[in-house]
Amino acid sequence: MRTARIALIILATLVIGSPVTPADAQGTPGLTADEIKIGALGALTGPGYLYGRLIMNGAEVVYNEVNKAGGINGRKITLVREDDRCDAASAIAAAKKLIFQHQVFMLHGGGCSNASIAARPEIEKAGIPWVVFASVADEVTLPTAPYIFSTALAASIESAAQLEFALQQGAKKIAVISMRDAWGRARYNPLMETFKRKGVTPVADEEMSPDANDATPQVLRLRQASPDAVIIVLYPKAAAVYMRDAAKLGFKPMQIGQTALGDLLVFRDQVAIPNALDKFYTISHVRYTPEDPEMERWRGLLEKYFPNDRMSVYNIMGIASATVVVEALKRAGRDLTRDRLRDELNKLKDFNTNIYPGVITCTPTDHQCHKTPAFMLLTGDKVKTVGVATVTR
Amino acid sequence: MLPYLVVSGLTTGSLYALVAMGLVVVYKATTVVNFAHGELFMIGGFLAYTFHVLLKLGYLVSLVLAVAAALALGLVTERLAYRPLMRAPAISVVLAAVGFSFVLKGAARQIWGGLGDYMPFPPVVATPAITMGGLILVPQQLVVLAGALVCMGLFTAFFTSTRTGKMMQATAENAKAARLVGIRVDRVYAFTWGMGAATAAAAAVLMAPLTFVYPDVGSPLLVKAFGAAVLGGFGSLLGAVLGGFSIGLIENLAGGYINTSFTDISAFLVIMLVLIVRPTGFFGPRAVRRI
Repeated sequence: MRTARIALIILATLVIGSPVTPADAQGTPGLTADEIKIGALGALTGPGYLYGRLIMNGAEVVYNEVNKAGGINGRKITLVREDDRCDAASAIAAAKKLIFQHQVFMLHGGGCSNASIAARPEIEKAGIPWVVFASVADEVTLPTAPYIFSTALAASIESAAQLEFALQQGAKKIAVISMRDAWGRARYNPLMETFKRKGVTPVADEEMSPDANDATPQVLRLRQASPDAVIIVLYPKAAAVYMRDAAKLGFKPMQIGQTALGDLLVFRDQVAIPNALDKFYTISHVRYTPEDPEMERWRGLLEKYFPNDRMSVYNIMGIASATVVVEALKRAGRDLTRDRLRDELNKLKDFNTNIYPGVITCTPTDHQCHKTPAFMLLTGDKVKTVGVATVTR
Repeated sequence: MLPYLVVSGLTTGSLYALVAMGLVVVYKATTVVNFAHGELFMIGGFLAYTFHVLLKLGYLVSLVLAVAAALALGLVTERLAYRPLMRAPAISVVLAAVGFSFVLKGAARQIWGGLGDYMPFPPVVATPAITMGGLILVPQQLVVLAGALVCMGLFTAFFTSTRTGKMMQATAENAKAARLVGIRVDRVYAFTWGMGAATAAAAAVLMAPLTFVYPDVGSPLLVKAFGAAVLGGFGSLLGAVLGGFSIGLIENLAGGYINTSFTDISAFLVIMLVLIVRPTGFFGPRAVRRI
């Protein structure tokens, strides 16, 4: 008995005093000699799937092609998906599952901003690299967190770009229609600050509920102000209702949307009134549309891996963002760790994906790596890029 | 601006009125507030979309089929979800209704979710807006308003002129007495649920060309219809109709003349004020205190 007790004390001393923790003994989570496990976080179901599943599909096309070519420094990429359902509670659960259950090396995802904002503290606490592919809320990357980077445009950048574009197009009288929920305020507040900075006052400033089925009061009040341009800070459904009612009432100024209305062909089908989008410009994260010849190769690959997907701008966003992830992983080298990946992302300067309108540049103090929105216009059945802006935050 | 706001308000209000009527009909007969009523509206819209857009049937045929299918769904719902709970505490029935609304929403996402977020429904009348003086009339809105009024008329005629309608009225008045005179009350309840669902579907089919068909359309509409029913006096069909039109008008006029940020809340502010003065709504029974 006494001998057993002494043995136990010695064993306990050895374990407590040992510098080797169980985690160290296993190595970096999600990383083996031949595999890098990447966790994809986003909406797989529900209305937010555009900003989740479709983007993930685009990213997975890139990862599949990289794997086919031998992987990154000898390691193949495995993409593990979790559904955040575009809501806060599910996002936290999904992030935890990816980090602690699947034990991924890094995260590549974040579609709906509210979900990403909710998941951010958990992800930050875990010290896991996270490259955001679509969430635009500034709170996702501000304040700057060591391991969180974004290849999506930020709401404040888009809002500033909308006003810049209106002014560049010669608009003198500019009106605003917006939603004032959390998503809308994240854009509306920076937009109003930009108006102030430019010394411009909106001639009308109307509000619309996300669930509204009728925009008659809004359109009539805007029409009374006779604006040259209307800046639209609305989610797709509300925007479609607004554009329908604007068309019915013959209200046709220049209308300037944002990335939530990034797929003009889908938006045109939703509005479903001929010529309603004649003077409708929107912002896109990416330079190209699915029909552009430059996207032909990617279109073919998407059809091969995801036959049910009709290529959309969201797939292209995933392709572009995954290109950045792959580049950073390559640069981090064979001795890959989370810290090395972070360091390479911090050093990424003027990286041209050939898909984003501008270059990708991250710095240690600014992890908002994409600052160049493209403006698109639908002409007939063709979506054209009509301008590119670089906006600082 | 006023004429157009009025026309638009009446159009939206007519749809609130139709949905509210379905809610009140079920309540009058069974004293149950069907919290899944918004989702029945949503299913009606998707059914109409399936028949008219996917299967390319005519609009009127699609309307009839959607209403008939919704009636059948209402009958099935009553039999499976509510009849077993008729003797349970009211909270159980409420929870069952809420649960059923989630089931319907999930089913809609599963069946139609892959088609897209918000499906546009083709207009019944594709002619452009007509300008008469300062007034802009959108033919589609006039068609919807007329259609809603016809539905309300048919509904009222059914209740007042048909044998089944009179049995439903009798059951709503006094279920025990109705049983005593030989009315099959359980069948009346079932048919009432069916009628409620059918009314919701009719409203959805009429509304679809003005807005979109999507899984989340039901909940906000239920809130407005509930408000309309409360404003009119929960239990009064006429009250539900007037309440619906009132809410539609108040929303549009407040949004047009005060501020668009008032569009959603104005109607509820008015409801609160009305209930302070008249707690049972426009046409609800006066509260009687026995001393």
